[in-house]
Amino acid sequence: MEERIRTLVEEATQAILSANSTAELEAVETRYLGRKGQVTELLRALPTLPPEERPRFGQLLNTTKTQLQTQIDQRRAELQRREREERLRAERVDITLPPRPLRVGLKHPLTQTMERVRAALIGLGFEFVDSPELDDYRYNFAALNYPDDHPAMDEQMSFYISNTRLLRTQTTSVQGRIMEKRKPPFRIAVIGRCFRNETVDATHHHTFHQVDAFMVDRGVSMADLKGTLAAFARQMFGEDVQVRFRPDFFPFVEPGVDYAIYWQGGWLELGGAGLIHPNILRAHGIDPEQWSGFAFGLGIERIPMIQYQIDDLRLFLENDLRFLQKYGA
Amino acid sequence: MRVPIEWLKEYVDITVSPEELAHRLTMAGLEVEAIEHDEGEAVLNVKVTPNRGDCLSMVGVAREVAAIYHQPLRHPMPAARTGEPGEAAQVAKVEILDEDLCPRYAARVVRNIRIAPSPDWMQRRLLAAGMRPINNVVDVTNYVMLEMGQPLHAFDLDLLPNGHIVVRRAKPGERIVTLDGVERDLQPDMLMICDTTHPVAIAGVMGGSETEVTPNTRNVLLESAHFNPTSIRRTSQRLQLSTEASYRFERVVDPGGVVAALDRACDLLAQVGAGEPLSGVVDVYPHPVSERTVTLRPERCNLLLGLNLDAQTMVDCLRRLQLVAELRDGVVHVTVPTFRPDLNIEEDLAEEVGRVYGYENIPERLPFGHTHRGSDSPNTRLVRPLQEAFVRAGLVEVHTHTLRAPGPLDDPNRTPVRVRNAASEELSTLRNSLIPSLMDVVVHNLARRQTEIFLFEVGAVFAQLPDGEYEERLKAGFAITGSAFPPGWDARYPAADFFTAKGVVQVLLETVGVAEAEYAPLADPRFHPGRSARVLAGGREVGIFGELHPDVLEQLDITRRAVLAGEFDVETLWSLATRRVRYVPLPRYPAVLRDLAVLASEGVPYQTIEQTVKGAGGALLESVRLFDVYRGERIPEGTRSLALSLTFRSPERTLTDEEVDEVVAHIVRALEEIGARLRA
Repeated sequence: MEERIRTLVEEATQAILSANSTAELEAVETRYLGRKGQVTELLRALPTLPPEERPRFGQLLNTTKTQLQTQIDQRRAELQRREREERLRAERVDITLPPRPLRVGLKHPLTQTMERVRAALIGLGFEFVDSPELDDYRYNFAALNYPDDHPAMDEQMSFYISNTRLLRTQTTSVQGRIMEKRKPPFRIAVIGRCFRNETVDATHHHTFHQVDAFMVDRGVSMADLKGTLAAFARQMFGEDVQVRFRPDFFPFVEPGVDYAIYWQGGWLELGGAGLIHPNILRAHGIDPEQWSGFAFGLGIERIPMIQYQIDDLRLFLENDLRFLQKYGA
Repeated sequence: MRVPIEWLKEYVDITVSPEELAHRLTMAGLEVEAIEHDEGEAVLNVKVTPNRGDCLSMVGVAREVAAIYHQPLRHPMPAARTGEPGEAAQVAKVEILDEDLCPRYAARVVRNIRIAPSPDWMQRRLLAAGMRPINNVVDVTNYVMLEMGQPLHAFDLDLLPNGHIVVRRAKPGERIVTLDGVERDLQPDMLMICDTTHPVAIAGVMGGSETEVTPNTRNVLLESAHFNPTSIRRTSQRLQLSTEASYRFERVVDPGGVVAALDRACDLLAQVGAGEPLSGVVDVYPHPVSERTVTLRPERCNLLLGLNLDAQTMVDCLRRLQLVAELRDGVVHVTVPTFRPDLNIEEDLAEEVGRVYGYENIPERLPFGHTHRGSDSPNTRLVRPLQEAFVRAGLVEVHTHTLRAPGPLDDPNRTPVRVRNAASEELSTLRNSLIPSLMDVVVHNLARRQTEIFLFEVGAVFAQLPDGEYEERLKAGFAITGSAFPPGWDARYPAADFFTAKGVVQVLLETVGVAEAEYAPLADPRFHPGRSARVLAGGREVGIFGELHPDVLEQLDITRRAVLAGEFDVETLWSLATRRVRYVPLPRYPAVLRDLAVLASEGVPYQTIEQTVKGAGGALLESVRLFDVYRGERIPEGTRSLALSLTFRSPERTLTDEEVDEVVAHIVRALEEIGARLRA
């Protein structure tokens, strides 16, 4: 009997070690430890042994069973690990294949720029308001101190709808609308689409976007204008930006300047600015001796054109998807 | 304006390079747009702002240069020499009938004219300044205009009966042939230089060919005048005739320099041997412009500029500009010469001080005093969430044209607003819908072989209202064509269709918080009649969307692909938002799921079935989800089977099967009432 058990253990150990898959091991387990397995059969034969031998062989068989089970479990763990590794190897993909595309929405580069401009000016305390694109001649020109039929309008050729209505040529047209309703102090900004009746080329368009900001308070000076423009330009273009003024003429400001920023090695003209003309303040019942204010404006397109070195203004309204996918976000 | 530096040097010393000069002039307000080189001579291309007509001359620019570099100015004729009528009055007579348009008209006479080419030096300067030499008389008038800014005109005196000039408005029906050979119809508000019977020149714009100086001319009458700038501008615009003269008159010519320019011209004519000037000037100037005095308070000047200058520095800056400035009782008194009509108020003087002192010296300071809360505009608060909703739905934002030609995709229910002075049909109306311009973009990109085109725009559209007023409204629109999901290398999807568009609409509605939207058939010639919808919320239409009509697509040369488009009214959308964000605990009790296959006639809309199920399901029915639509074998023709997954749940307890069975039975009875039944 002992001899038989020893032979059985040797055979079983050999079978466990040579099982090369979990399925084979399963068969080995069944062969020895299953319901009709050889170890089970011997256990079942215990009652046929002489009573004095039963305890010893019973114990021996149970130990054998436990021993074999342990060997099988160890082997199974080993085989499972190996089989998983093989499966993972087989599941390998060519990671250099292109991705499965997702549909990704994008905001237009002008919208992104407008959002940045808004954030910068809101941070400087400006309240954004809305103003119509189809505006009154009065707000677009007359309230801004343009004399009738003045050559200053040559740069503002307009699309007229009627004798009194036109498409605004500048977002500055919001000034009169605000001043006739509000009392200073205020800081107002507006952003939106403007139109000028001019020939389209790489740097001119009949449709473009502007932001205008103005404030009226006590003792507002050209230094406040310069400081505000510098703070704005630094948020838009980076901390090392410098601001430069040069005299220019706009009927609604006096003094009037053109401002430029020093950026990446050169001066870039951004827009017009100045102190709000006392005629405008007075026309709206604001005493220029008590209050003064500044105004500045700039073209929205100019900002991404500078940032990305885009050389053709027309691209923004052409909406070529290849352009939008490159500069949208 | 072209300014040859060689010419400029006649009036002011210049020792710096053209580049340095150009930079300083630009920084002082006379923008030099380019430096050109003409036969080795540097020529500045100066852009003069419309308020500085005085700088449209060599002397004017020299005056700025003198101020910048602290140099004296050598004026060729600082004041008129001739004051008396003299001999000129015996052969010429000037009568101004419309003083409002012509405050001053002066004439001198030159005898024994010998027409010949002008001397080389004069021709070279004219050419460098961009004018073509003609003959000695015309060249001298042009030379003086370029030099001093005063346009002059030479008439053949012998062709003016009695040398009599009448300045008056045109009479109805009058015409004139101008120097360029064009016959022009005159309007009664145009100012004319006439003889005793008819116009011989359009005042300030162009002379007439009848009295033109020719090789036969023996005597000339030289005109130097001051005209109303607005009148000249209107005439020039009406006739579409802009000349060197009209350009200057529009920008205000110095009324005080009228006779000095005549004297200068006569001197030059004599000098080049073109003729012999008669003594005297006929100068009609009924109301001479007097020099104004404008005051500047130093503290006000410093407040505006943000500087801290002493009063004497201000006086020095102003004097450098050839202004007479004096400090009296702590206030700067400035006598403004007639060549600077742009200086009228204290702020104008502050600007002059600032630009001579140098704007680069103004410090940077952030405003102090009242603090303000910056904020977005009300419209931005409506627009931005919609832009972000479209982006989440995978659409790319575009900004399209407001101005466009009318077309078949315009909104048929909104009268378009027309542009009165459009240069072309392409710019003739304001869009009344976003769909046409979105489709322009679709067409543009299809032509560039883009196949996945998913676009949106939020922007203003316009309409003319029945009362004649104009309406400007914000719309949110989209246009999509391509695959329902982006095609890759291992998968293909069906084409985007009505339900793809409806998915976009749903994201939009959920973003705004429009809870219960209904979809009703749309009758709009732009859309496929069976694949388009009106979207209603609270009984109001918030927008429309659907597949575009194949006829419309054919007109755009789009074939073999469906294009979906939609447009929503931004304000109406937000006005119907009902969503309130509040906390609802996650469910604590398990749900019971039941699937129903509902067989109904094709004529019964899904919306009716869903509403019926929800109505009958009551509070315990948490949600209804459609997961299949089946037509075909094993069900009668003209019907479809809708597979619904129903979720039942109570917030208070675990539901029993019996309870749910009861509700389902109730639902089935309700479905039977609308002609639907469970599929066996």
